[in-house]
Amino acid sequence: MAEPAIRLAGASASYGGRVVLHGVDLTIRRGERVALMGRSGAGKSTLIGLIQAHAPGEVALVPQAAALVRTLSVFHNVYMGRLDRRSILHNLRTLALPARADLDAVAAVLARVGLSEHLRSKAGALSGGQQQRVSVARALYNGRPILVGDEPVSALDRQQGGAVLAEMARTHETLVLALHDVALALEHAGRIVVLNAGRIVLDAPARDLDGAALAPFYETAA
Amino acid sequence: MSALRLPRPGYAALSRWFLAGALAALLVADLHVASLNPWADLRRLLGGLVRPDFLSVEGWSVVYTVAFAVLGVGLGAGAGFLLAIPFARSRTVRGVCAFLRAIHELFWALLLMQVFGLSATTGILAIALPYAGICAKVYSEIIDEADLSALRVLPAGTGAVSAFLYARLPDVAASFRHYTLYRFECGMRSTLVLGFIGLPTMGFHLESAFRQGRYGEAAALLLVFYALIGSRRLWVRGATLPVLALASLLALPETVGATDVGASLVRFLTHDIVPAPLRNADVLDLAALARLWAWFRPILTDQVLPGAGQTLVLAQIALVATAIGALALFPLTARRFSGRLGRPAGRLLLVVVRSTPEYMLAYVALQLLGPSMLPAILALAIHNAGIVGFLLGRHADDLAYRADAPTGLNLYAYETVPRLYGQFLAYLLYRWEIILRESAIFGILGVATLGFYVDAAISELRLDVAAVLILATALMAIGIDALSRALRRALRIDTLPTRLSAPLPGATSP
Amino acid sequence: MLRRFFTFALPLAALSAAAPAASQDSARPPLARPPLVFTGIPDQDESRLVERFGKVATYLEARLGVPVRYIPVKNYPAAVTAFTNGQVQLAWFGGFTGVQARKAVPGSQAIAQGAEDAAFKTYLIANARTGLAKAPEFPLGVAGKTFTFGSRASTSGRLMPEYFIRQAFPGKTPETVFSRVGFSGDHSRTIQVVQSGAFEVGAVDYSVWDLDTKAGKVDAGAVSVIWESPAFPDYQWTVRSDVEKAYGAGFTEKLRQALVGIADPAILEPFGRTKFIAVDNAAYDPLIAVGQSTGLLD
Repeated sequence: MAEPAIRLAGASASYGGRVVLHGVDLTIRRGERVALMGRSGAGKSTLIGLIQAHAPGEVALVPQAAALVRTLSVFHNVYMGRLDRRSILHNLRTLALPARADLDAVAAVLARVGLSEHLRSKAGALSGGQQQRVSVARALYNGRPILVGDEPVSALDRQQGGAVLAEMARTHETLVLALHDVALALEHAGRIVVLNAGRIVLDAPARDLDGAALAPFYETAA
Repeated sequence: MSALRLPRPGYAALSRWFLAGALAALLVADLHVASLNPWADLRRLLGGLVRPDFLSVEGWSVVYTVAFAVLGVGLGAGAGFLLAIPFARSRTVRGVCAFLRAIHELFWALLLMQVFGLSATTGILAIALPYAGICAKVYSEIIDEADLSALRVLPAGTGAVSAFLYARLPDVAASFRHYTLYRFECGMRSTLVLGFIGLPTMGFHLESAFRQGRYGEAAALLLVFYALIGSRRLWVRGATLPVLALASLLALPETVGATDVGASLVRFLTHDIVPAPLRNADVLDLAALARLWAWFRPILTDQVLPGAGQTLVLAQIALVATAIGALALFPLTARRFSGRLGRPAGRLLLVVVRSTPEYMLAYVALQLLGPSMLPAILALAIHNAGIVGFLLGRHADDLAYRADAPTGLNLYAYETVPRLYGQFLAYLLYRWEIILRESAIFGILGVATLGFYVDAAISELRLDVAAVLILATALMAIGIDALSRALRRALRIDTLPTRLSAPLPGATSP
Repeated sequence: MLRRFFTFALPLAALSAAAPAASQDSARPPLARPPLVFTGIPDQDESRLVERFGKVATYLEARLGVPVRYIPVKNYPAAVTAFTNGQVQLAWFGGFTGVQARKAVPGSQAIAQGAEDAAFKTYLIANARTGLAKAPEFPLGVAGKTFTFGSRASTSGRLMPEYFIRQAFPGKTPETVFSRVGFSGDHSRTIQVVQSGAFEVGAVDYSVWDLDTKAGKVDAGAVSVIWESPAFPDYQWTVRSDVEKAYGAGFTEKLRQALVGIADPAILEPFGRTKFIAVDNAAYDPLIAVGQSTGLLD
């Protein structure tokens, strides 16, 4: 078996006195494609946050809100994925005068999420689905091996979402994605982890599961 | 130059215009450092500042400063509240308020002094008149922005007063309180500055101390003033207000020698500020009109136009310098940049900077650097950058960064500044009018802006000329205010908070 | 405390009623004497002003038998304003401010001047670095230098030097003669800024120059006198005509005698005067002509 990429043991978290994660143990190995599932409020976003904080140097993050800088261009928003690996001077220069190589590299990433014509658009002017794809592109451009996403395709239709998930899988070794679309999760993930009220209640290979098996944990309680 | 095509044309274009305007203004500005040895003076100044001489502080001047501010702001805010009610409906009320606030409190004081002499009335009205205009506008904005949902569900037939008390006032009361407290802080600064022209506030002694180089006394006065401003939340409260107001009334300085107010007022209105050629002349007399034009033309060409030009030049440079200063200073007060220990220190610095009246900064800089535009630019930029930087710092702390956001300069350049830029422009456009009014006033200190000519006219006892010049200043301020509002609307930043007192979302209010 | 309240409330009430006849003279009982209030133009260091006028107040109170109060002002026009709106009844004016005040308040009189004021002088002073040396003729070498007047409304620091400059450079104004023109505010400050080099040349009241030299405030190596002007009338005590109504007929003359009778060197010394002598309005007519020729007076 591959070595672990992420290992959480007895991870707990609480907000304002309310416990949202109760001693979660979770090990994710390199190369795994993990879908985190569960009702809203189950603790997925908190767990995503813990995973990101666990190995920040290896994680490319797609946060739940697209978290774009609306006043900057799509190019600059995607370029931000690698700010930490460039000199400050280069970054400052790029704000006003981007280098050809950077423009080309970002354009290539944007093409993968279907946004190549929006390189110079203002991020704030894009639709919600487009903004989410910019956020994904930023993580793809970041390029770190573990891609962690909190509902990264929630604003896309199933077909677009599938294409974007496939792109993520193509270049990132390990995927940890909170998803709510059962069909997408079963199709693109190798392992399904279900959270309920701050505890892991199901952890199984996707091939062993189907929509019916996940329904009790996932769909509305009614 | 395709790479230079910035992705936010509105903001970027505006910034470029303003920058280009400031660079052009720099070409014609007088930036000569006349003092050959500012360092010796500066060293003596700093030497005095580290050894404040508290025993020399005239205690009554502190009391008068507070009393003038309490009564002036109280009267202004009260009148502003009454004017705010018809403000949105009445063009006349809006015009009157715009006029009241377009004239700087120092100019008001110079005019009022003609009638009321060096008296408490002059000091209080000089604050109350412009503040009534400002408060009316802002209170009216607060009422407009208020949540009206509660008003709509009131039973039909609810009386106007009941409706106001139940469904409106509770919603706006907190904003009113915040704004009025902020105005009080401004009122303290204004009162201090009134001392520079002779009213018996702390500014009177501060001016003497600076002029004669008694820097220990100056430092003590300033420290007392900072302490008053810094502790205002402790002693200006709902419960203390009646006591403060009554105590202020009782503590007002006795006017030495009574002016004959009635006669002075009549003389002022019917003689002094009436253009010289029209005095004792029939209004419809054509010859008098010709003389009026002959009188007015040189004032326009030799004083109003050059003065207005210099005022604009100074305001433009100061505005852009403020912008640069604010961008450089705000990280000092933002958690992500200055850290847990640095932030309180940064805040203290900016509170001190913003509590120092810009007129006083300019006065001191003038003593050190000699008479040119440089001291005025420095004073305006330091004071306003302190204010805008402080506010931007608070906004920066409210930003929701993503978990993997960069740090340091990368965070600053890619996340923080781009996100704050609209807010930043909104504040600057809002300060523009204020900077312009101050630029005009700095003429009294020797920079050739409109105030320079006002000072000359008053020295020559030509109050009619002074009135024309003050009117020109007011018209400029009103014009800049309108332009600023139009720009804010065009950039769609007119809904962002610009009231310097506005409680920010997420900020805890006391 | 209550009185303080009324001094504030009364003007406000008068304002709202807009009653032009709200004169304090008729409102007061005849026996309660209101204080005689006076001021002086702030032409030099404030501490010296407080000293000199404090002594004058004490002296006049004893001689006249009425309470006398001094009110300090921050600039020349404020002194004139206090005189015109009746806040002060008596003022120590410069030649020009006196002319302004008497023009604005008909009936007011110049009653006494310093013995030196009948033939007062302006000094042109220059920073040593200019290389300008003392000369009997107006030094034309000042052209192109930076120049500071004192207060805008000063006689020896503005009106007369401007007049002499215009005479020396016919058809020109100070703004065109010098590379920069400033107004320091008072004579002590003029000496300081020329001494520091902030301005190269300045015009200063000769009596303040002498007082500051005696006080050791002048660095002879850095600043020196380069020209003495011809004589002109300057400072004087001016009084409003309504003192006769407030303090009885003949009060103006009584006041003049009191001032002329000052013999105590402790009072005269801070003024830089040997004694005060009687004077009348006509003595200042030459200044009216000068004021009109320089455009400072209508």
